Amino acid sequence: MEKFLIIGERIHCISPTIKKAIEERDTAPIFKRAKEQLDAGAAYLDVNIGPASKDGEEIMPWIVKAIQNEFDNVPLALDTTNTKAIEAGLKVYNRGNGKPIINSADAGDRIGNIDLAAEYDAMCIALCAKEGITKDNDERISYCTELLEKGMELGMEPTDLLFDPLILVIKGMQEKQKEVLEGIRLISEMGLKTCCGLSNVSNGAPKEVRPIIDATFMAMAIQSGLTSAIVNPCDKRLRETIKTCDVINGAVLYADSYLQL
Amino acid sequence: MFKKPIQRYSGKICEVEVGTGEKTMKLGGEAVLPFYSFDGDTGNKPKIGMEISDVYPEGWIDALKELYKDVSDDPVKWAQFVEEKYNPDFICLKLVSADPNGMDASPEDCAKKVKAVVEAIKTPLIVAGTGNHEKDGKLFEKVAQATEGHNILLMSAVEDNYKTVAAAGVLAYNNKVAAESSVDINLAKQINILINQLGIDNQNIVANIGCAAGGYGYEYVISTLDRVKLAALTQNDKTLQVPIISPISFETWHVKESIEPEENSPQWGNQEDRGISMEIAAATGILTSGSDAIILRHPKSVEVVRSFVNELLG
Amino acid sequence: MALKGLDIFKLTPKKNCKDCGFPTCLAFSMKVASGAVEIGKCPHMSAESIEKLSEATAPLMKTITVGKGDNEYKLGGETVLFRHEKTFVNRNRFAVIFSEDMENSEVDAKIQHIKDVKYVRIGEEMKTEFVALKYISDKDKYVSLINKVKSSGLEVAYILVCEDVPVMKEALELIKDENPIAYGANKDNFKEMVDLVKNDNIALGVKADSLEDLYTLTEEIQKLDYKNLILDPGSKSVKETFENTVQIRRINLQGQDRTFGYPSILFLNELAKGDKFQEVALSTLFTMKYGSILVLNDMDYCRALPLYGIRQNIFTDPQKPMKVEVGLYSLNNANDASPVLCTVDFALTYFVVSGEIERSKVPAWVVIPDAGGYSVLTSWAAGKFTGSVIADAVKKSGVEEKTKSRTLIIPGKVAVLKGELEEELPGWNITVGTSEAMYIPKFLKELVANS
Repeated sequence: MEKFLIIGERIHCISPTIKKAIEERDTAPIFKRAKEQLDAGAAYLDVNIGPASKDGEEIMPWIVKAIQNEFDNVPLALDTTNTKAIEAGLKVYNRGNGKPIINSADAGDRIGNIDLAAEYDAMCIALCAKEGITKDNDERISYCTELLEKGMELGMEPTDLLFDPLILVIKGMQEKQKEVLEGIRLISEMGLKTCCGLSNVSNGAPKEVRPIIDATFMAMAIQSGLTSAIVNPCDKRLRETIKTCDVINGAVLYADSYLQL
Repeated sequence: MFKKPIQRYSGKICEVEVGTGEKTMKLGGEAVLPFYSFDGDTGNKPKIGMEISDVYPEGWIDALKELYKDVSDDPVKWAQFVEEKYNPDFICLKLVSADPNGMDASPEDCAKKVKAVVEAIKTPLIVAGTGNHEKDGKLFEKVAQATEGHNILLMSAVEDNYKTVAAAGVLAYNNKVAAESSVDINLAKQINILINQLGIDNQNIVANIGCAAGGYGYEYVISTLDRVKLAALTQNDKTLQVPIISPISFETWHVKESIEPEENSPQWGNQEDRGISMEIAAATGILTSGSDAIILRHPKSVEVVRSFVNELLG
Repeated sequence: MALKGLDIFKLTPKKNCKDCGFPTCLAFSMKVASGAVEIGKCPHMSAESIEKLSEATAPLMKTITVGKGDNEYKLGGETVLFRHEKTFVNRNRFAVIFSEDMENSEVDAKIQHIKDVKYVRIGEEMKTEFVALKYISDKDKYVSLINKVKSSGLEVAYILVCEDVPVMKEALELIKDENPIAYGANKDNFKEMVDLVKNDNIALGVKADSLEDLYTLTEEIQKLDYKNLILDPGSKSVKETFENTVQIRRINLQGQDRTFGYPSILFLNELAKGDKFQEVALSTLFTMKYGSILVLNDMDYCRALPLYGIRQNIFTDPQKPMKVEVGLYSLNNANDASPVLCTVDFALTYFVVSGEIERSKVPAWVVIPDAGGYSVLTSWAAGKFTGSVIADAVKKSGVEEKTKSRTLIIPGKVAVLKGELEEELPGWNITVGTSEAMYIPKFLKELVANS
């Protein structure tokens, strides 16, 4: 069993610090967050530069090169709706420590990102969605198969697609939670890999409650077969939960001090 | 069409140097399962060392006592004899005299002996203690101090005494330390972590995960080795990426098959041959499952295992 | 082994024609994988694909049965590469080589050795299971060798090693009732060899010059619809032989390729070049890694003791503890004054304890109760090694008649049982022994000296 793949979410332009750093091409705040996340056990770093419709093709290569130079070619997930920006990032990406991940394609407008992934031998997060919120698991699986077939036609390995069932917020969509977990199980039983943006689940919940929801949902999702997630690795409770899941699943050998590693 | 598959591993075993000068030995460094040269880099050739004792080896079989009769009353002479005659990769001096249930020699006296031996030979030296954790703590502290600069390997630190043994051995006096666990996969990992947490990196650690003679719980040793190597190589578990040393002779030379006198079981045939055979079998199986260094007692075993390793690595 | 939807999908035409009633080939494949639909619902599946699918549910590695009666052995049938993943199923077997160019005296000696080395260790009979009869060039002598060995009273299964088809034919006539292995199919003779063995379903040994050639040859033989095979990964060098042996098993189990899903035979006598210690080394190597039949030059206790011990350990089922027989054991010629020790029936514990007692040279009796086959503390915790269990075993063992001593030594780790035992066994002096076996010799020597 493979270790759970943690993709660090904290280089995200929604953060004013990062937004400013990108605008000013100031690497220091970006490196600080990269280092914190790597120290906390992230295997990949997600780099979200926002829509960047104007200067994305300049920003993405800049940030990819900067982070990879500073951190021994750490593997990255390139995250923007600007496909050209992703392509520009892929061109300068060093894959010595892992293929790039394109974040993301869906079964709607962004299905073209699968072509990009195939062309550049990249991995790709494939959202099981088209427009709006996926209704149920029938719909979820039909998007999943659509994306899978597309990828396989283009010669991709099925395991290079990370299917995202789309995590729904508990506050407002509580009744959907079990079905999302079931969706993860259906996808993983096909032998496919999965990924999700975790934090959505606890959106709007009180600050002190959020880590508990996140960690618990994570454990349940991993049990359902989830293989990776975009998360905040600096969240101690979440980090410890994932480490413990890895130990229970046999992906990491137990030792008394396993949490300290 | 048929194509030979190659398996890639994400991890690699750390390289550890023991000894000084031209005979310095490097342990580990492999990035594939043992002898899987068809997958990639097998690292340094497994090292074969010979066991000697700091006192006359009363419990050894007659054939071996006879072999060493002119030198076995003096570990310096004995070490020189072994170095010259058999040229092993390393020599393992077992401090039998320190055993609190036996002669209970003082750590200071033992340290003097070790110093004399290490200064008399060029071959890398490994010093084995008594198995009494409290005594070994004191013993290795003195031995480490007396051998500073010789880069010897202290065997071993356990959970009870690693703070003394590893801290004195590596941090204070720049020797190497073996992290011992007794055929327990989780403890094997834990003891490495504990030593790492003292600020000692993998380049100074060798693991002794335990050992057994064939027929005596050997499968536990094999599965522990398999699992350690797989975790280190396929899961890239850094805490297990240290070379492994297995004191084969400590186990095989006290089981019945090896020491039963011929007059008691004549159908079993020559005692010396049986002992050699038990030692070779235990050694080769353990090498096949991932040990990077083995300690043997009989020169014939050394010869056979050496040729076995050379044949396998080509 | 269940097939995954994706594996089935790869075999479909991938045209999404909907003739099966499902919107896409992938959706259909998923349904087939879950068992909800028959693969036959797709009218466009090739015969080859359907064959592949039905094969895919068969075990990856075949189990080959050879020999007859008490000397029948199962080979292969393994499912994992490492024993900790599950368990190894069929232990490797040892064979001794004979050939017609050997002197009669050598043949006789080897036969005698095979007869001499036969013993029971922890409930398992240890012996040479096979003889390999190798043809060199003299047919008449070969035939008489077969007859000689066959009538020697050996209880073994047979391997005929011969690449000459007419000679093999004659040899098989002599011995096919024993369900032997016919070893010697190569790229030139395999058709005739298959014809020779097919009717009687005799296991066919297959050899080739390289791994690639062996693969091709095995495919060719399978095309003749013959799948009762044993593969020889051997080459001139130890290194290449090891690689081939590992690759065959790995390609089979990891690569899920049934072409290599057969047991192996390794002629270690040739690789070891006559050195018996090298045979021991190589036998251990191939016991660990994927040998099924290991052919040696000879069998003696020097080889048997380590090799059978290791094999017994490696092929033990991790779920089933190895137990020694319950009862009374006499060590170092125990007499009517010797003390009594007690420990559990877990084989490893018994061997370590008895070994240390033997090392002490102090005559002693050892009582072994039925403690479930676990270590001292585990059995104690499970309530299987209690005062009453020990007391019962002592009474049933008859040791009270064998010795006048009433000293009963219990393992130091269960010192808490002392009180209970004193009640259960009045008249006995319950003594707490050492908590580690290595201190037994010192303990016993002192005990005797003080009594």
